[in-house]
Amino acid sequence: MSQAVHLATPPSLHFPELAKLLGDRYTENNFERAFYRRDLAFVPPILEMVLARTLPQCVARPRDADEVAALVRGARTHQLAITPRAAATTVYWNSVPTRAGIVIDLNALRGIVSVNAENLTATVLPATRWGELDAALRRRGLATRTYPTSAPSATVGGWVSMEGFGIGSLQFGGLAQQLIALDVVLPDGRAHHATRDSDPPLSWFLGSEGTLGIITAIELAIRRAPEKTGKHLVALRDLVAVQNVARALAQSAPTPYNLHFSDAAHLRLLRAAGFAPPTEQAMLLITYEGDANHIAAGAQNVYAIAQKFGGEILPDDLAAREWGERFAALRVKRAGPTVLGSETWLRADRLAEYGADVAHLANRQRVTLATYGTLVTQDEFTVMTVYPSDESRQLAYIFDLSLTKQLYDLAFRRGGRPYGIGFWNAPYRHRAMPAHELAERRARKRQLDPTNGMNPDKIFVASPILSPLIFSLGMNALAWARRVGGAWR
Amino acid sequence: MKSFNTGILAETHICARCGYCQTVCPISHALGWESTGPRGRIAIAQHVAAGQGATTEHARRVYQCTLCGHCREVCPTHIDTCALWLDLRERLAADNQLAAFPLKTISANLAKFQNVTGDPPENRLMWQDNLETPIANLNSHAGAEVVYFVGCVAGLYGQTQSIPQAFAQILAHANVAFTTLGGDEQCCGFPLLGLGQPAAARERARHNLAMVHALGAHTLVAACPSCYHVWRDDYPRLLDAPLNLRVRHASEFLGELIADGRLNLQPLAERVTYHDPCDLGRNSGVYEPPRQVLAAIPGLELIEMADNRANALCCGGGGNMEAVDAELVGAIAARRLTQALDTGASVIATPCQQCKRTLTNAARKARARIKTLDLTEIVWRSLAA
Repeated sequence: MSQAVHLATPPSLHFPELAKLLGDRYTENNFERAFYRRDLAFVPPILEMVLARTLPQCVARPRDADEVAALVRGARTHQLAITPRAAATTVYWNSVPTRAGIVIDLNALRGIVSVNAENLTATVLPATRWGELDAALRRRGLATRTYPTSAPSATVGGWVSMEGFGIGSLQFGGLAQQLIALDVVLPDGRAHHATRDSDPPLSWFLGSEGTLGIITAIELAIRRAPEKTGKHLVALRDLVAVQNVARALAQSAPTPYNLHFSDAAHLRLLRAAGFAPPTEQAMLLITYEGDANHIAAGAQNVYAIAQKFGGEILPDDLAAREWGERFAALRVKRAGPTVLGSETWLRADRLAEYGADVAHLANRQRVTLATYGTLVTQDEFTVMTVYPSDESRQLAYIFDLSLTKQLYDLAFRRGGRPYGIGFWNAPYRHRAMPAHELAERRARKRQLDPTNGMNPDKIFVASPILSPLIFSLGMNALAWARRVGGAWR
Repeated sequence: MKSFNTGILAETHICARCGYCQTVCPISHALGWESTGPRGRIAIAQHVAAGQGATTEHARRVYQCTLCGHCREVCPTHIDTCALWLDLRERLAADNQLAAFPLKTISANLAKFQNVTGDPPENRLMWQDNLETPIANLNSHAGAEVVYFVGCVAGLYGQTQSIPQAFAQILAHANVAFTTLGGDEQCCGFPLLGLGQPAAARERARHNLAMVHALGAHTLVAACPSCYHVWRDDYPRLLDAPLNLRVRHASEFLGELIADGRLNLQPLAERVTYHDPCDLGRNSGVYEPPRQVLAAIPGLELIEMADNRANALCCGGGGNMEAVDAELVGAIAARRLTQALDTGASVIATPCQQCKRTLTNAARKARARIKTLDLTEIVWRSLAA
């Protein structure tokens, strides 16, 4: 690359052999490293300083799996903590260093390796964006089966590392049902081809949040591009009606491709942000993908079920507009400038109860709590509840952070659990999965990464401040103070 | 599109850091470091706007941007990123950060000669010397209905002088009563905005508009998308007044001439792919007129690249990038060239002299058998066929 854009080389490198591996794709430059300290979440510097060492000692940008493996081995030699990173689109610090070390920026491992149009499979590099994969497949009459709501930037490897539920999961299942094989560089630097039958199997890496290795290629099932997409927007009185209509549609044939809801508070917040949501009530966006008969049958279901539960079918152009905005959930930030919130799994039959709890909390804390989500299985929603805050007012922001804990508590009370753990949800890891699963995950970590060098402090170990008891006490105290100090705010 | 701009610091807080912009940024794609994409630049903007100063490293990343607008196009929070980058450049210019870059030369040329090359003003009509048939009234002819604003790059770079030659001949062929500002034309101000010098751009706007009004013309046509964008969108803002002038890009004007039956287009058997210039497409919203002109040429086969219209890849030539890092421009152009080659076309059509330069240079470097022609050149070939 251009001489003019080379970063200044420090006079002496701390890890010259790592630099030798990648040349100008390796840096220890202070200016450059500083950009790798964040993901989506804003964390006040005081908290960051207390909890973690987020400034990496070096950053490397490998181009292939061999370079990844060499870097992992080199980092191990120097006992450097490794943080794999690509688009960094989560909010839990899944891809932010907590013990300095090396950031392995995987963005150069991006692109489609091969597509098998007969078997309907594709092999891609980990930093391939879902949006670009789907667009490339559609040019060939094919499509991804599912994709995240952040598809324009979310990577295939990243979504594998998370749980992989999103748009289309209702019809096609989670990513686990689409994965065929993974190439992974294990924490000891060995390359491993993971399948359902390999040792360790593919399932170990799904949702492991980069703690068990670095994914360098993914083979997954795809589909023929649907002939049509049918979009329907239904205005509904409240989350009780949303729950009823969503469940009824999910249990009817054909299965919708996607079901997305917003409560009235979410639409109010969008309006405050300067947008024009289509209704003042709650709304449900239902999508069917398939041939003309499939779409027509879906439409009939929507009309019948919406009518049964008192819903109003909104015009098609509004439905199309909302579908077009499916990647723009973050536009609500204009009501912030920051939004905070929780993302949880929630049983489909508990949505309305959760919504009532949230409304009560909003009233108590005098804050707008806006809820939206997607039905990703017949029985479960992934639900976001967000609220506006302002990161430029850092003290108030710290108090606001406490509401996230309150929201997780509400979801937990209704049988919910956090979606994604990373660093910030580590206090809830016991809620995120049953004890036997957590124990099993610990055992895998000990087996594959006994020195805890691969993305440490994510899921398993965290700062003592993030121990469930201390964290809970601290956050509850902040929430109490926030409530009684409302006038001060 | 509704504008949401609330000022540089507030917008940096609104940024969700979702990375949609990083995915499409040509600079980020070429250089790879987190700091090189819009998300990195937002962090720099926050740093600068908060009064924490800027180092040469900050400034380098700010100027390594083609102002292509792709980041603004995909931003889910509707941040007008281009406005943000220009604001940031203005702050850096005030902090004397231009001095550390080759931009100092452009800045000096613009101040002394009112063009980017440093040529004397009388060279602006050099391109007419090679016309097979001289065209009357080219130089500031009072009473002309249309002023053709040639622009610095087309008028003063030998590689692109075939564009004004083609366009002037087309206008003459269609019996359009047109003229140019000749040596009185000054830089449109686009590079000055890119340098963070809006006050100087305002002076250029005042001068150019006064010259056009003095000739009594009712229409201004620019074949350069940047000149067009600045005339249409920035001059009214800079001057805080309507222009009282019809502003058209050459592609739109050609479409009008075709619709009026004033161009007798002849068959041209070429497989052509169309490259959207950023300042015409994303930054001005003009996507279809150039395609309609190409579609009007009998025998011409138009094949779209994988990324087109609002998703078109940048050629690398905008935002003063060539002065900052010419090699980076080459890397960006090479990527777009690959998409063009994938179509199997033998010609890249683009209504932009700077895109023509960057894509021609990229093809030459890659030894690719594809030529890049301006839309006006293709139309002139069709007329002359």
